[in-house]
Amino acid sequence: MLEINAPDVVAEVTACCEAYERALVTNDVPALHAFFWDSPHTIRFGAAEQLYGAGEISAFRSSRVINFAGRKSRRLTVLALGRDTAVAMLEFSALVNGSPRHGRQTQVWARFPDLGWRVTAAHVSHVPPTPPTTWQAYADSAATAIGLPLSPDHRPGVVANLEATASIAKPLLEFKLPADVEIAPVFVP
Amino acid sequence: MNLDTFPATGVEVVEAVRSRQATAREVTEALLARIEATHAAINAFTTVTAERALAEADAVDAAIAAGRDPGPLAGLPYSLKNLFDIEGVVTVAGSKINRDDQPALRDATCVARMRSAGAICLGAVNMGEYAYDFVTINAHDGATHNPRDLARSAGGSSGGSGASVAAGLCAISIGTDTNGSIRVPSSFCGIWGLKPTYSRLSRAGSFPFVDSLDTIGPLGRSVADLAATYDAIAGPDPRDPVCTPRPPEPVRHLIDDGIGGLRIGVLGGYFSEGGAPVAHDAVRHVARSLGVTREVELPVPERARAAAYVISTTEGGSLHFDRLKTRAADFDPAARDRFLAGVLTPADWYLHAQRFRQWWRGQVAHVFRDVDVLLAPATPIPAPLLDQQTLTFKGRELPLRPNIGVFTQPITLVGLPVVAAPVHLPGELPVAVQLVGAPFTETILLRVARELERRGVCTAPAATLTD
Repeated sequence: MLEINAPDVVAEVTACCEAYERALVTNDVPALHAFFWDSPHTIRFGAAEQLYGAGEISAFRSSRVINFAGRKSRRLTVLALGRDTAVAMLEFSALVNGSPRHGRQTQVWARFPDLGWRVTAAHVSHVPPTPPTTWQAYADSAATAIGLPLSPDHRPGVVANLEATASIAKPLLEFKLPADVEIAPVFVP
Repeated sequence: MNLDTFPATGVEVVEAVRSRQATAREVTEALLARIEATHAAINAFTTVTAERALAEADAVDAAIAAGRDPGPLAGLPYSLKNLFDIEGVVTVAGSKINRDDQPALRDATCVARMRSAGAICLGAVNMGEYAYDFVTINAHDGATHNPRDLARSAGGSSGGSGASVAAGLCAISIGTDTNGSIRVPSSFCGIWGLKPTYSRLSRAGSFPFVDSLDTIGPLGRSVADLAATYDAIAGPDPRDPVCTPRPPEPVRHLIDDGIGGLRIGVLGGYFSEGGAPVAHDAVRHVARSLGVTREVELPVPERARAAAYVISTTEGGSLHFDRLKTRAADFDPAARDRFLAGVLTPADWYLHAQRFRQWWRGQVAHVFRDVDVLLAPATPIPAPLLDQQTLTFKGRELPLRPNIGVFTQPITLVGLPVVAAPVHLPGELPVAVQLVGAPFTETILLRVARELERRGVCTAPAATLTD
């Protein structure tokens, strides 16, 4: 009978996934090569490329210039099927051409008696970007324009607060003031 | 003085010390012990300045022994919101970032004046980070617990001030109020609070929040204590460019003048609905006891609140711009996103709010031609539980933190003086009623407050701690 999610197997594969993620963020190409099964059977579908065999995968990795420093794991699920096979499903956030994107990555891991755990098949995709709302676009542009770094972690809260301010300010801004009202001068020379 | 029955009010301590029934050192030592014994339960103090307190106490005792005047606040023990400079102490303002600052080189103006008056500085107390807060649940120093019910918030942002006074750890605490940060903890902790007229008391040596709205003032358990502290701090100060050049108007000896001839009204409309019934019952209770039946309305108060909101977020954000650029992750998450959004507020909104403020000033002045004091709730609810996230307002479930200030924020906009008067109705948590006056009428407000205290309508006994 197939054993599902043996804790030690899940722990081993989780550790492998975390190590792979670290190698990816630092673009450690030799390490990345080593995580994949060195076989013509290995397949990797990237966000924009179809790579058949370990040779094509290695060639692709070696030639690409990429910065994954902004990539963050959001949710990793490891499904262990028996003692030698596992599927790792990861949601992550990344910056694609400077804009935040939600990504998904699926890897099929297998344990080889002489090698240990290797990725035998992988597929990466990004959720197509939804057009930003007015306040998302405003926050991004205004922050960039004034040199304020806006971390993807903080952005939703900032946008929510801008929306709240806009909603609170609406009746104030609609209120017609007499044209001759000036702000209170506080500067006393 | 029997220290077993401590805590006394501040002026009772001063009388006991001046008449040699107790020494300032005895009082100070008793309170330092009480602070330590209750700290785990309340978490009000972030720095206890025991050495300084004992030195100040000894100086008072020495003056009395030598027959010199020890000052009008001789021996009065007080705490400070931790945004005030205390010489030799780092002014953290509830933040992690400011912990890297050098210790203050000199006392804030109010601290120096308290010292000259003979008061005893016991230390600095907790606050919401950079004062952008109404609950004092501080990500770095923890939550301050309400001495009336330890599961509840002490209010904010001067929460440590409210808790230290309500728990009888000091007679007075000096806090700050921008959108309600003295009045909210006074309400939740069931104590007196004085938010003076904008510009009336010097803010020099306090870490700012919103320059256009910031005020400082005392929280205490008796009206005489508020008045005596106000008198000690008042006076022009070139260190605060906003501080008024008007000469101080001492109130301590006028508070018992009664309320004859004063015109008092209840604020209607916007201020008369929403929140828990007890908030409005408290206003009716005070109004009835003063024989007030008249209702008065301020024009478009919800827009005044919006203007205070826009000014606060914009000036607060701008104040912290450099820190937001370099250390956003070190902010308390509850404050950070609000400050970040503030930096991005359109300039037109801010200037519109400032122009509205000037217009509303005229509208409010018009209302005060026919009335001297206005009554309104201080908070829409009594102290919320520390994990509470919402409040019920006009049948709707609203996020708690942004709505605690609905009744304090409009008043803030035009810098009116307010006394928060605590009401303890049977079977209810305390709440405060705002006594709102025209600019620079603190004397009138404190006279009404004293009358309410004398009649037993508004009281602020120290909480009984069951620890």
